[in-house]
Amino acid sequence: MEKLFQAIYGGILYGSIYGLMAIGLTLIWGSLRMLNLAHGSMYLVGGYVAWAALNQWALPALPSFALGVIAAALMGLIIQVLLINRILGRSEFFNAAMIATVGAAIVIDSAMLLIFGPRVKQMPPVFQGQFKFAGVVITYQGLLIVVVALISFALLWLFLSRSRHGLSIQAVSQQMDAARLMGIPTVTTFMIVMTISGALAGLAGVLLSSVFYLSPTAGFNPMVKALVVTIFGGLGSVKGTIWAAYVIGLVEAFLQVYFGAGAALPGLFLFMIVMLVIRPSGLFGLGEAQRL
Amino acid sequence: MMQDTAVQPSKSAGRRLDWAAGPWAKTNWITLSVVILVMLALPWAVSQLSIGRFILHLFILFFVWSIVAESWNLILGVGGIFSFAQIALFAIGGITTGALAKHLGWNPWISLWLAPITATIAALIIGLPSLRLRGPYVVLLTLAFAELVRNYHSQGPTWIAEGGYGLRYVPKLGFEELFGRPLDRIAYYYVAFVLFAIATYVIWRIFYSPIGTSFRALRDSETYAISRGVDPFRFKLLLFALSAFFTGLAGGFYVHYNGNQSPTILSFSVTITLLAGIVLGGWGTFWGPILGTGIMIVLPELLREVDVFRNMAVGVTLALLAVFAPGGLFPLIVDGVRKLVRPSRKLQEE
Repeated sequence: MEKLFQAIYGGILYGSIYGLMAIGLTLIWGSLRMLNLAHGSMYLVGGYVAWAALNQWALPALPSFALGVIAAALMGLIIQVLLINRILGRSEFFNAAMIATVGAAIVIDSAMLLIFGPRVKQMPPVFQGQFKFAGVVITYQGLLIVVVALISFALLWLFLSRSRHGLSIQAVSQQMDAARLMGIPTVTTFMIVMTISGALAGLAGVLLSSVFYLSPTAGFNPMVKALVVTIFGGLGSVKGTIWAAYVIGLVEAFLQVYFGAGAALPGLFLFMIVMLVIRPSGLFGLGEAQRL
Repeated sequence: MMQDTAVQPSKSAGRRLDWAAGPWAKTNWITLSVVILVMLALPWAVSQLSIGRFILHLFILFFVWSIVAESWNLILGVGGIFSFAQIALFAIGGITTGALAKHLGWNPWISLWLAPITATIAALIIGLPSLRLRGPYVVLLTLAFAELVRNYHSQGPTWIAEGGYGLRYVPKLGFEELFGRPLDRIAYYYVAFVLFAIATYVIWRIFYSPIGTSFRALRDSETYAISRGVDPFRFKLLLFALSAFFTGLAGGFYVHYNGNQSPTILSFSVTITLLAGIVLGGWGTFWGPILGTGIMIVLPELLREVDVFRNMAVGVTLALLAVFAPGGLFPLIVDGVRKLVRPSRKLQEE
């Protein structure tokens, strides 16, 4: 019974983290139809800026976290304006965008290496302490991550379904040509999407750098996991991505608790291969219409 | 095995093939033999330099990774299948021959030939389920497969993983004992060059053959290709097998050249670097991946002077290329040369 609670708690924690990282990717895929391989770098920017604000400029916790998120959001906007906006609408857009974002990722990662050095850094947790519930040790930091993630999902859902810009993001990802015909400024929409996804990645970086260490290559693993979650949930579907994040988090946690830490990754990937064979377009994917 | 799989489908299509239309009909033998002679004489000239050994090492790296890039381009650029398992197949080739030579005491020259075979079998195994998937979902499946291989390679049984170090102290090809210090690298250069030449020739023939055209047809419009009689099941599996064969061979050679294979070869950054090379050179073109791989190997070395900014310069180069030459460098160069040599032809086409 204790193991069950442990697995559920771990799964919800992992799921929240994966969800934060993956939603940005899925929004970008939905509207821009590109794989943003600089997503991990925005995670990195968020983590490092918050760390610097907290430890070097000695700001209080909340403003320095906000600074980290803002810096990551700005980074997303800069990538969009400098690189992606220039290659929009070209026939080789998919490849070009992928290489542009790889280039941006390399530049950002090496800039972080130059500024902060190769030594690993750890952010002190915001809330010290822990408590026991049904035999499971729950840290306040872990709880904070879950709560912040849930609040951001709720805010994002409100933004997407209620606000003007959110609706235009949805319109663009459903039918770009129709959206453009209805007078929706697609380029502005893309810029908003990149900013939001940068902010979400930055938020994940800020929250996670007190759990994991921060190093110039630390953005990579979260990004690959996020990629997996995004595709698993059905590309471009926000609802599917959140579900997929929690499903994958729970599967990983259950495998860890019941079969040991070494079984988690291979088990997860086997699970995904089986799932893809059964449902070839992801958990919530609609299946792309075949072009003639 | 290679020959069989490559020739059979072309026989069925052979009746309609105008043999003289292929690029091999207008091979410039003089240029070709000059290039081959230069490549054969090169190591003797280079080894006179003080850093000659290192330059030869770069050449060997270039040959090995070019084979992988060409094969990957076959499935990625020509076939339009986003398979990210190429490095995993490379590693499977290395594991096969490395483990056979190290633990069963096989002669590396014999076990090397099993590497492409296991890689091909592995490719068929991942090829089958990914036939049902399209586009980005193939990415997930192949990425998951690569992660499984990496996990097995670093945490699997001792004879493969050795507690996270991968394969160590694999027997080399035996040139060290045979020729001694300066000459062994030249021998490795020749082996790598021969493998590269064979792989490039076979892939070149496939690229411009009816099989290559069928792959492209399936990529551009699957429905139309099927209605014209291209069997997607057979051709996609063939594509997976073809692109795995030489990758496995390159992996086998690489493990015997290095004498070890660490699981870090399966890290995502290796995949990304290789992919960057392919796109840089020109995705879906024949010479592009080779050019791109060369650039990705030479560029970081040239930028060694500005050490700390080296990575940044590579990143900036990639980003600039993506904005200004998204089709890759090779089409750009071809266009430039055409404009210089035959300015009138372009006008006629228009």
